Amino acid sequence: MIFTGFFYGAIAIALGAFITLIRIMLGPSVPDRVVGVDTLNTLIVAGMILLGAAYDRVIYIDIAIVYALLSYIGTLVIAKYLQGGLE
Amino acid sequence: MGSDMGLIVKTMARATIPLIGIFGAYVISHGHLTPGGGFQGGATIAGAGILFLIAFGINEAKEKINKSLYSALEGLGGLVFLAAGMLGLSVAFFYNTLWHNGPIFNGEPGTLLSAGYLPIMNLAVGLKVYTGLVSAVFAMALFRRWRK
Repeated sequence: MIFTGFFYGAIAIALGAFITLIRIMLGPSVPDRVVGVDTLNTLIVAGMILLGAAYDRVIYIDIAIVYALLSYIGTLVIAKYLQGGLE
Repeated sequence: MGSDMGLIVKTMARATIPLIGIFGAYVISHGHLTPGGGFQGGATIAGAGILFLIAFGINEAKEKINKSLYSALEGLGGLVFLAAGMLGLSVAFFYNTLWHNGPIFNGEPGTLLSAGYLPIMNLAVGLKVYTGLVSAVFAMALFRRWRK
């Protein structure tokens, strides 16, 4: 733990994630919720990298890379379902 | 409502699928050094297979994905895992003889060629998980209940 300022950054990211969670819960339509989940994915990737810097572990960045790649696929699958599905 | 996505998604998939595949191979081959391992890396490469199926449509995937080859590779992964477990059968089942007195995979701990049979088992589990998940997802995508 070299510089605890990374924890304040992670707390700010968590605050944004809670605001996004309100949009996911209240969203009147399905695309609102999809955009909310996509935003939440990106915020979680940012939080993972900040926490990896805060705990001073390089190997935590691998998990953030895997999450960023797979969240893209998840959003793409939902978008394909909403536009008519796999036919 | 075509069978594939637009031009942007296809070009993005052409750039992203090798990236996901290489990163999954990295996670599998460094399973004894970093977080991850056979299942996690195999599931990551299966994500690349799902991206291929989503971006290029089911007709393109039907030409590329060979059903019997994937079934045979899944069985081969399980057999390699069992064979790596039986290498030290003269002492005990799952005895790590490659680490104690084997010719390969007994380097300095922390390097890539260490840990005895663990890299072999990670490769086998990764192959099995990748082929199994891609086969399952592809079979579900081919399963038609609607409109027919």
